Amino acid sequence: MDYDVVIVGGGVNGTGTARDCAMRGLRVLLLEKADFGVGASGNSSGMIHGGIRYMLSDRRVTALACRDSGAIQRIAPHLLFRIPFIMPFTSRRDGATLRERAAFYATEVYVGTYDRYQPLKSGKPSTRLRADELYRLEPGLRPGLHGAVTLDEWGIDPYRLCALNAVAARGYGATLRTWTEVRQVLADGGRVRGVRWRDVLTGEEGEALAPVVFNAAGAWSPALARASGVDVPMRPGKGVHLTLDRRYSSYGVILTAVDGRQMFLMPHGSESIIGTTDDDYYGDPDDLEATNDEIEYLLEGAASLVPGVRRARITRAWCGLRTTVRAWGRYEDALSREHQLLDGAPDGAAGLLSIVGGKLASYRAQAQEATDRIERLLGRPVTPCRTHEVPLPGGDAVPDPAALARELPVAPPVAAGIVHRHGSRARDVLALVRDDPRLGLVVCRDAGLLAAEVVYCCRHEEVRRLQDLRRRCRLAVGGCGGLDCARLGAQLAGRTLSWSADRIRAELADLLDAGWRERRPVLDGVQLAQEELLRAAHGLVEVA
Amino acid sequence: MTPTPGLLEVDVLVIGAGMAGAMAALAARDAGATVAVASRAPGATALSSGAVGVAPDPTASPDEPLAWLRAPVEAARRLAARRPDHPYAAVGVAGLWRLGEALRFAARQLEPLLAPPLERPRLLATPAGNAVRAALCQRSMDAGDLLAVRGPLLVCGFAGHLAFDAALVAAGLARYTPRGGPEVGDAEVALPFDDPAARPHELARALEPPGAAERLGEALRIPAGALGAGAILLPPVLGLDPAARVPERIAAAAGMPVAETLSDVPSVPGLRLHAALEARLRVAGVARVTGEAAGAPAPGRAVEIGGTVVRAETWILASGRFVGGGIARRGALVEPALGLPVQAAEGREAGVHLARRPAASLTVRDRRAPQPLLSAGLRVDAALRPVDDRGRPVHPRLLAAGAVIGGHEQATDGSGLGVAILTGFLAGRAAARRGA
Ligand SMILES: Cc1cc2nc3c(=O)[nH]c(=O)nc-3n(C[C@H](O)[C@H](O)[C@H](O)COP(=O)(O)OP(=O)(O)OC[C@H]3O[C@@H](n4cnc5c(N)ncnc54)[C@H](O)[C@@H]3O)c2cc1C
Ligand SMILES: Cc1cc2nc3c(=O)[nH]c(=O)nc-3n(C[C@H](O)[C@H](O)[C@H](O)COP(=O)(O)OP(=O)(O)OC[C@H]3O[C@@H](n4cnc5c(N)ncnc54)[C@H](O)[C@@H]3O)c2cc1C
Repeated sequence: MDYDVVIVGGGVNGTGTARDCAMRGLRVLLLEKADFGVGASGNSSGMIHGGIRYMLSDRRVTALACRDSGAIQRIAPHLLFRIPFIMPFTSRRDGATLRERAAFYATEVYVGTYDRYQPLKSGKPSTRLRADELYRLEPGLRPGLHGAVTLDEWGIDPYRLCALNAVAARGYGATLRTWTEVRQVLADGGRVRGVRWRDVLTGEEGEALAPVVFNAAGAWSPALARASGVDVPMRPGKGVHLTLDRRYSSYGVILTAVDGRQMFLMPHGSESIIGTTDDDYYGDPDDLEATNDEIEYLLEGAASLVPGVRRARITRAWCGLRTTVRAWGRYEDALSREHQLLDGAPDGAAGLLSIVGGKLASYRAQAQEATDRIERLLGRPVTPCRTHEVPLPGGDAVPDPAALARELPVAPPVAAGIVHRHGSRARDVLALVRDDPRLGLVVCRDAGLLAAEVVYCCRHEEVRRLQDLRRRCRLAVGGCGGLDCARLGAQLAGRTLSWSADRIRAELADLLDAGWRERRPVLDGVQLAQEELLRAAHGLVEVA
Repeated sequence: MTPTPGLLEVDVLVIGAGMAGAMAALAARDAGATVAVASRAPGATALSSGAVGVAPDPTASPDEPLAWLRAPVEAARRLAARRPDHPYAAVGVAGLWRLGEALRFAARQLEPLLAPPLERPRLLATPAGNAVRAALCQRSMDAGDLLAVRGPLLVCGFAGHLAFDAALVAAGLARYTPRGGPEVGDAEVALPFDDPAARPHELARALEPPGAAERLGEALRIPAGALGAGAILLPPVLGLDPAARVPERIAAAAGMPVAETLSDVPSVPGLRLHAALEARLRVAGVARVTGEAAGAPAPGRAVEIGGTVVRAETWILASGRFVGGGIARRGALVEPALGLPVQAAEGREAGVHLARRPAASLTVRDRRAPQPLLSAGLRVDAALRPVDDRGRPVHPRLLAAGAVIGGHEQATDGSGLGVAILTGFLAGRAAARRGA
């Protein structure tokens, strides 16, 4: 056998499990049909939250999520940022109806109980705000609110979380292959023996043999498992987010949508994000686009508390598929009802292990459980997991950006962006500038992206396509859609990865296509003028 | 009544000072009318590549020898025949027939900047390594015409200037060699000054002072000699002010013809074009008003723009598309200055009623396909009068010119500045006739 385990899917579950398996000495092959994080993981809200939603239904989930959130902070402190949230009260206690009072009381108990778990993830306890305090903190809220409670959450760059788990796994000997799709799980006499794969860029095909196949293909996993006769009980839910061009609040604001669901508006770097919708989706998972209704739903919900967003420039709408467990499976040793590990043996596919559901926030614990199961399937003793102790790449000794900016020739905001993305490896990125001052060129002012970072990611972070740089270092993701940076990024990547001129052009077109899909439904106002400019700037392609 | 802060009475008021507005004003002025031009800010013209595209040839085959390129006017006719909604079709056969005259008029008006038109289009390189056809180009680009370069073409970048990748451009242009284009080589030379982070307009300025262009020309002799080059192609940063004669000075020092490529954004050649139009308007005695026309009444009535009250019998709306601000989408497509109806198309349907459709239904998934949303704009009759949803002129003395007229995607269909020149010229001439 070539490997001990083949992992299908480079989302947070696949990459997290690859890292754990590799750290425990297993021979791992990770196959991802596109790039790390392109599925639910990268398109999630990126909140390493403690699962306050589960407070009422399952406190074990909350405790687990809080504890694991604390672990992620220890191993990747650079990737995380604190987001204080406020949950405004829309009615007053006295004079409120009985129902409003009950909701009011429940919120406080709910948030108060959550406080007990906050130390697990170094969150601050909640506070109550009077109306005047609330408006001082958040003047953009609509008038007539009666106060709020605060709660503390953490955000993360989910794409980098996936990529760093994968790169870490590689460091422990795992083989990574992006843009490689698993076409078929191979089986013999009721046992899997590996997979058949196809490289979608080169067309190359091959087989990789292993006694265990871990199906972490997210919303695609039912189809993959079904081909082996295994039923993965999943209920896919489409979730749409909007990105707005600037900060419309200083704090995250918890909102109630028109249909009573919870939503949020949160500041994110220099932008804001509104999320999310949640609707059943049984279409093709490769064909997701935000609809006009979804966009309206999000805007209306956000405008109900922060009216200013109605004037906002929406820079993109992005979607992912939640992979919620549909029903109880047969195996109840799952850690929680939030995720399940399904063994294919009863369906005649022994060695095929599938994961359904789970949160980004508890990916590490999910990966630990999966790795334990993989070791058992391999007939080995379960060995200790160390993924909560050993830092992810760059997670050790994260440098102070200001100090770094003094030491090396970069502006402090640029240094901050690089430290956020690369942690201690920011030094390696910036060392490239010391060796070649040309790489000190700021490719995108908005994202604080340096030419050196593009080159670094291409060399060290499994970049096979130009669009991978959207996820590694936010190339061409901002409101300008890559007006300044796309062609320059393509040239830099092309040089670093020895692409031909034709390949560079094709990659550039593919990068622009990816942005177009996200902006097409939201073209309005200034953003539409920006799109026209972008199309013109890249429209000089009429081949005579 | 308080006295009006300054009343300007002219025959023609032009709103917008891009290529279309400037051409309209100059054509009307040239025909004897008094003209005022009001504008808010630079528009698409100042961002353009700097060369005038008139029309791609819809019937050309990609394998044809380059020498078979059709004349711009003929290409425009073929385009009009295939696209009944295109402004070239809207102006009618008689209008389109004057395209050659309009181009010559533009070249004469911008004589210091533009090279004289040829019978055939020029084939010019972009910084992405493609070749596009141009009916008119700046003098700084002329020697890069792939159909006229004698001997190999050396594409040369500047060391430290990452934005222009000479090897990439050369590899792209080599695709044209088998069809009659020149042999291509590439090189990199050090700039006579050192600033790796300089932006294009900073580089352009830095080449202007005495000695700078000459030192660059000297440095080019080495790689040009090694290739046996017949001409040198450089990034589009050869001076901001044409009076500094940067390309000519580099060429003299290098001992061979030198050209720059077309530009992407930000565009030094676009800035040059903008400056040249402004200078020409001044010389021609056109009154300039800076400010925004918003909620304006109809021609013949006084309108206040940026503190000046202007009265003119004829108005020409040349306010551009989305970049210029002549058309906007604010939940629905609108024409902000005069509130004229905006026409959009969806599938086989077209009309004013589509202006409220969601953005997604006015676009198609394939980014490279024509996008109806980006072709939205005013509909005009053959006399360039904007029409309402029933096809009737909104006002007998209100004309439109340039990208504010819909039916073409100004940014990508290769006819943007050509449409601006033709419709600007026709509108200006027509307005002068009415004014007289
Ligand atoms: C809108 C939204 C918001 C969310 N917000 C949060 C949040 O704030 N916090 C939180 O903790 N969780 C959140 N979640 C949940 C969380 O994102 C997911 O549970 C988690 O990312 C699932 O990870 P995964 O690796 O299982 O799946 P995915 O990330 O979807 O990964 C599956 C991968 O498999 C690949 N693949 C599929 N088929 C094949 C094949 N045949 N061969 C090779 N590769 C294949 C896909 O390309 C994909 O990359 C959110 C989810 C959504 C949709
Ligand atoms: C990046 C880019 C590259 C391009 N490259 C090429 C190319 O290589 N070749 C080519 O042929 N075409 C090219 N085009 C297209 C071409 O530039 C345009 O089609 C053309 O310039 C349009 O000219 P215009 O005068 O109609 O509009 P604009 O140049 O946009 O001018 C509109 C003017 O109207 C003013 N205005 C708008 N509203 C008001 C108001 N309410 N009150 C007062 N003033 C107002 C604006 O301030 C501006 O001055 C390019 C376009 C872009 C954006």
